[in-house]
Amino acid sequence: MFKELDPILHSQLRLAVMSLLIAVKEAEFTYIKEKTNATAGNLSVQVQKLKEAGYIEVVKQFKDNYPQTTCKITPVGVEAFEAYVQALQQYLHAGKG
Amino acid sequence: MPEEKKLSEKESLELIASMINKAKNSYIESGFGPLLWGTLITFCSLMTYAQIIFHFTIGFDIWLLSLLALIPQIYFSWRAKQQKNFTRHDETAMNYVWSTFVICIFFLSFYNYKTQPEYSVALYMMIYGVPTFITGGIRKFLPMIIGGVICWVCSIASFYTGFANGMLLMAISAASAWLIPGIILRKRYLKLKNV
Repeated sequence: MFKELDPILHSQLRLAVMSLLIAVKEAEFTYIKEKTNATAGNLSVQVQKLKEAGYIEVVKQFKDNYPQTTCKITPVGVEAFEAYVQALQQYLHAGKG
Repeated sequence: MPEEKKLSEKESLELIASMINKAKNSYIESGFGPLLWGTLITFCSLMTYAQIIFHFTIGFDIWLLSLLALIPQIYFSWRAKQQKNFTRHDETAMNYVWSTFVICIFFLSFYNYKTQPEYSVALYMMIYGVPTFITGGIRKFLPMIIGGVICWVCSIASFYTGFANGMLLMAISAASAWLIPGIILRKRYLKLKNV
């Protein structure tokens, strides 16, 4: 029985954001934008969706008088990401077999 | 990157691997700290050795340079922190390890000043090895693991040599633990920066 791929994660930009955030403790919005080559508008929408799903935590604050948005993966996000990778592997193994 | 493009399973796994690699490449350090301290401690040890062997004095305690080196170290650490827009998982642990090291070195210097122990060089090298070995182990950086072990071997060896040769061993320790790893890190950093 195949697990269904999480629709929140099965999207290019959201998956890219989650993969980055799993590899670091936390990252600023500018870092994610630079690494994903996404536009600020696109990225904001996808970050908001991940936040609404409870997969990431978003903290907005000021640093040296400039607004700073920091994102961090939540334990729910880690669990969802792991489940997503396991499901992917299951699909790929089935394809090989 | 399109916002809602659906991916095949293979594309998804490739994307995950590529983003994790991108994040790992951001980890590459400039090597400034190990280069600075590796050069300084190697130089101070060799200068102390030369003063004993060739019977001359430079007129001041060469080890005072290590206090001066704190200025660029603090400045560059502050600047790097300002420029950095992500935090690694192991960063807090690493900060605690190296802060503990600095505190121990100050404590040991005070202890030496008060008691003038015979094998103080051995104690320094033993402490040099600790954060170096831990950093190498956690960050899977073999040159620092080897550097840490060399510090401990030199520490034991210094019990069987005089103070002057102990200084030579200290130079070997500092070069192995920080100078050589610092050069390797710097090369990697410049290579990645120019890609």
